[in-house]
This record gives sequence, structure tokens and C-alpha cells, in this order.
Amino acid sequence: MKLLIAEDEISLQQSIVTYLERDGNVCECASNYEEAIYKVSLYDYDVIILDVNLVTGSGLEVLKHLKKEKKKTGVIIISANNSLSDKLEGLDLGADDYITKPFHLAELNSRIKAVLRRGKFGGDENIVFNEIRVDTGAKSAYVLDKPLTLTRKEYDLLLFFITNKNRILSKEIIAEHLWGDNSDLADNFDFIYVHINNLRKKLTSEGAKYIKTAYGSGYKFTEE
Amino acid sequence: MRKASKSFLWASMLLMVLSTIALFFYVRWLLEKEVEEELFSAEARIENALLAGQHPSSLAPIIEINEVDELKTAFTKDTVIFDPSQDEMELFRELSTYKSINSKSYKISVRVLVVETNQILWAIILSYMVIILLVFVFQFYLNKSNNKKIWNPFFHNLEQMKKFSLLSKEPLQLLDSEILEFSELNKEISQLTGKVRDDYENLKQYTEDVSHELQTPLAIIQAKIENIINGQSVTEIQFNQLASIQKDIQRLTQLNKRLALLTKLENHQFTHRASIDITHLIAQIISNFNEISTISLTYEKTSNIMANMDPYLAEILCNNIISNAIKHSSHGKPINIEAKNMVLSVYNYGATSIANPQQLFTRFYRENKEFKSTGLGLAIVKKICDLYGYDITYAYIKEHHCFSIDFGSTTSTMKLSS
Repeated sequence: MKLLIAEDEISLQQSIVTYLERDGNVCECASNYEEAIYKVSLYDYDVIILDVNLVTGSGLEVLKHLKKEKKKTGVIIISANNSLSDKLEGLDLGADDYITKPFHLAELNSRIKAVLRRGKFGGDENIVFNEIRVDTGAKSAYVLDKPLTLTRKEYDLLLFFITNKNRILSKEIIAEHLWGDNSDLADNFDFIYVHINNLRKKLTSEGAKYIKTAYGSGYKFTEE
Repeated sequence: MRKASKSFLWASMLLMVLSTIALFFYVRWLLEKEVEEELFSAEARIENALLAGQHPSSLAPIIEINEVDELKTAFTKDTVIFDPSQDEMELFRELSTYKSINSKSYKISVRVLVVETNQILWAIILSYMVIILLVFVFQFYLNKSNNKKIWNPFFHNLEQMKKFSLLSKEPLQLLDSEILEFSELNKEISQLTGKVRDDYENLKQYTEDVSHELQTPLAIIQAKIENIINGQSVTEIQFNQLASIQKDIQRLTQLNKRLALLTKLENHQFTHRASIDITHLIAQIISNFNEISTISLTYEKTSNIMANMDPYLAEILCNNIISNAIKHSSHGKPINIEAKNMVLSVYNYGATSIANPQQLFTRFYRENKEFKSTGLGLAIVKKICDLYGYDITYAYIKEHHCFSIDFGSTTSTMKLSS
């Protein structure tokens, strides 16, 4: 996959690149508005990660430019502004998703995958990991074509694991992905274990032992 | 103003008493002098007549001429004599002189009716009273109309200042006055309110900027931690520490978000309104929470609650009030939510009542330091309620903390409490 990361904070930009390149993605960077417009005009990308505040101009202008050129590129907007109006404006302009700083790279990664799946290039709604198949259209999962009975949170969890396979996910990242702003509540009850254990049991009973514990309190979805 | 007229009245009373006394003595002295002069001139005229050989007849009690044997010294005295013409006893001033004219000794007595002292006094007091009354009445009305003209800008400006709110953007509309002191006051007020407003705006802007500017560094820290965790050489201890940092970043993020929300609420940036079915919203939120927490949430709705408010705020309001109950529910006791007669009540078990209920809705007030909450949840709830004029109350009933929001108490105009 070819990605463009248009972010003026070099530290953040490079961290995103490091994380995404590990999956074998090709990442290009733009550090200001002009560079972003230049690269967008010249090349085609699968997904563009676009900061709203690019030092020399607005990321939303880049988005408008993209839409004018009728490029079939997925766009995820990053903003430091949590306001609803910003979000709506971005989505109205044709962005596929919107994420507010600070965010987890695993979360960004799973959003990128979701944008790709929604398929402007005829993306497949099915994600396959060995014998596991997740049908994101029907929101259901199968092991060797045998359906798994999952709760909504378990399904979300499985999808999050698979899109971030081979990555170590701390409890905090998982909690925030599943419960967003209410994740501080999960902290009090460690309810997250219940969900992960249930999912693990369901997968293990079908022979899919991929959820591994890492460093005692983290998790990793891997076949190693 | 009233005080001014009162002190004027007292001052004029005092002046009146003093001047009455002074005038009384002066008038009396004047009258006495006049009477004496009159007596002496009458006596001189009689003497001249006698010298000329005429014998003016006595005219009692005004003039009496008697021949006497011996000469005595002249004297004046006050005497009360019956006046037949008046048919009453009258006070006379009498001058008696003994003169030897043409080798005859005469006693010449001349008398003049004098005004009695108490009559003088009464005349003075009476005329004074009339004068003062007239002056006072006149002054009063003159002052009143004058004051109205002079003070009108002052009272208008006072009203303006009472209505002054940091939230409204318009500057104070102060009336100009011809009075120097008032225009100076106006100038100062304008400057002061302008400064207060500027400071407030700066502070608000600062809060907004800070929360905004914090996001990017937080994002960088978080991204770097994730890359470190996924790197090769991390020990378990390091991992746990990094995970703990992640948790703190998350707290900071939450705090930031909530502070930004509070600022927006204070800036009245939520103007969108829609009809929200609170009962339905609560049911949704409960089902969300059921996926997170093991605490059981019971929901009892006897009537539907509809509210006309921002949908986003409605969600935050309901979410915060329930998550607050979950956070503080001890021993995993169930939480009861009740929707009845436009009032939403949330009950959660608590062994003891809250020590400072009046501080519950204050920012960063934490009854219990045990929970790592942002301390802003209830402050936001209160702000949203204030915005729409909903009453929110706390009560401790039968070992339960109870928060009630009355959606029926809504006022048509938004409250401008700051």
C-alpha cells in the first residue's frame, strides 16, 4: 500500500511512518501545505493521512484539491481540534475518517485498513488471517468457514487484533479502542480481561490460538 | 437624594431657631429704641409748648402733665394701664420727667403703647415657618426635577452595570453626562469593564489554546511509546512503565477534552437545538455501559422525558451522570435510574453521605482521592444543566447518593450564569 503522511510535526510524522512501514506499506511524507499539494498532484496514493493544520496552509484545502481532481484516494484527517464542527466539515468535504490528537498508532492503523476495505479500489470486505475470516460487511467472523458467535465487543476486539497483528497492544490501547471516552471506567473493573478471555476461549476452542500475552499485561495477535 | 433633602431640612430648622433668637432680640432692641426716641421727642415737644406758655391738655394715658412740688430725676418704666379705648389692660412704655418751666415744677409723663414680647416672637416664628415651608417645598420640587435631569444618566449607567455580563460581547452603553464627575466615572467604568472583558477573553483564549496546543505533543509522546513497545529490546518492567505512561497520557487527554468542552460551554458555542428523547438516550447509554461494567443498571421509566437541547450535549449529560454513579458505586451495588415526570434520577449506593455537597459540582473537587477521575464530569453536567436552565439536585437518601435532573424546569431563555 502506498500512503502519504501529511503532517508538519516531524516527530509525529516519523513515528507514524515507522509504525506503518512495519506492515510493508510504502510511506511518503509531506511536511507542509505546498509539499502536500505537490505530491498529491503528482502521485496516486491509497490513503492520505492529512493534518488539518499544515504550517503553511489548511489540510482541508488539500482535501478540496483532491476532490477537484477526482482522485480516488482514501483520506483520514488528523486534527488537534476536538470540535464537532471541524469533524463535520472534514467529512462533508469527502474525508473518509477523522481522528483527533492524541491517538494510538494502532487505532490509526485500524482506521486506515477500514478505509481501504470500504474499497475505492474494489477492496475486499473480508479479512483473512490463516483460518480466520472476518466479514466486515456482515460483521461476522468464521474459523474455517464455521461461524463464531461473538458479542459486539468481541467482534470489535477480533477485528482490532487482526488489523494490528504482530503488534503489541497494551490494555490501555485496547480499552480506548473499545470504549473511547468511557475507557477510564474499564480501568476500575478490569472488565477488559473478561472480553479478551472470552474471545480467546472462543478462538482457542476452534484451534485458533493466536492471542498471546506479552510482557504480562499486554497482548499480541500472532501466529508465532 | 432623600438623605440630601433630609439634611437640608435639619439644617434649615437649626438656622431658623438660631436666627429667630437673634432676630427676636434685635427687633426688640430696635422697637425699644424707637419707642424711647418717640417718648423723648414727645416730651421735648410738650416742654417747648410749656415754655411758650401754652398748656397742652393732658391726654391720658398718652400724655399727662401735672404740677408737682419737687423735682425728681427722670425715669422710664414699663407699666400696665387700663386703656379705655381698647377696653383692656395694655402694656405701655412710660417716660416721666420733672422739669421746672417758668418757675413751675411739672411732671411730664408720656406713654406709648408697646408691642408685647411674645407677640414679636410669635410674629417672627410664624413668618419664618411660612418662609421655610415655602422655600422647602419650592426647593424640593426644583431639586427633584433638577436631580432627575442630572442623575438620570447615573441611574441609567447603574442599571447597565448591574446587567453587565462577561459573556455578552457588546460594550456597556453608558449615557453621557454634563457633570464632570459623572463623565469621569463613565470613563473609568468603560475602561474597567473593557479591561475585565479583555482579561476574561485572554483567559478563555488561553484555556482554549493550551488544550489545543497540548494535543500535538501528547500525540507525539503516545506515538513514540507505541513504537518503543513494538521495538525489539523492551523488558517487562519497561513495558509496564510505558503502559502506565500511556494511561497517564490518556488521563491528560481526557482532562484536556473536558476542559475544552467546559470552555466551549462557557462560551455558549452550542447553539444547535433538537428534540431529544432522554428516556431513549438513557436506554442506549445503559446498554453501552452494560458492555463495560459488571455493575447492574436498573432502569425504571414511568414517563417519557423530552428535552430540547443540543444532541451532543444531551449525550454527554446522560453519559456523565451515569458514569459518575458507576465510578462511585461501592461494593458493586446496583445503580438505579429512574425517569419520572420530566425528572431523571440516578441512585447509587454509598455508605456515607458526601462531606461537602455544595462543592460537588466544582471543578476538580474530588470527594474521594481513590479514583483517578478528571474531577470535571459533574462540573460539565452542572454547566449543561445551567445552560438550559434544568435544575440539578443532590440528595443522600437511605444510604444512596441521588442526583436528579429536572428537565421540566427549563427556562425559555438561556441562563447567562458564568
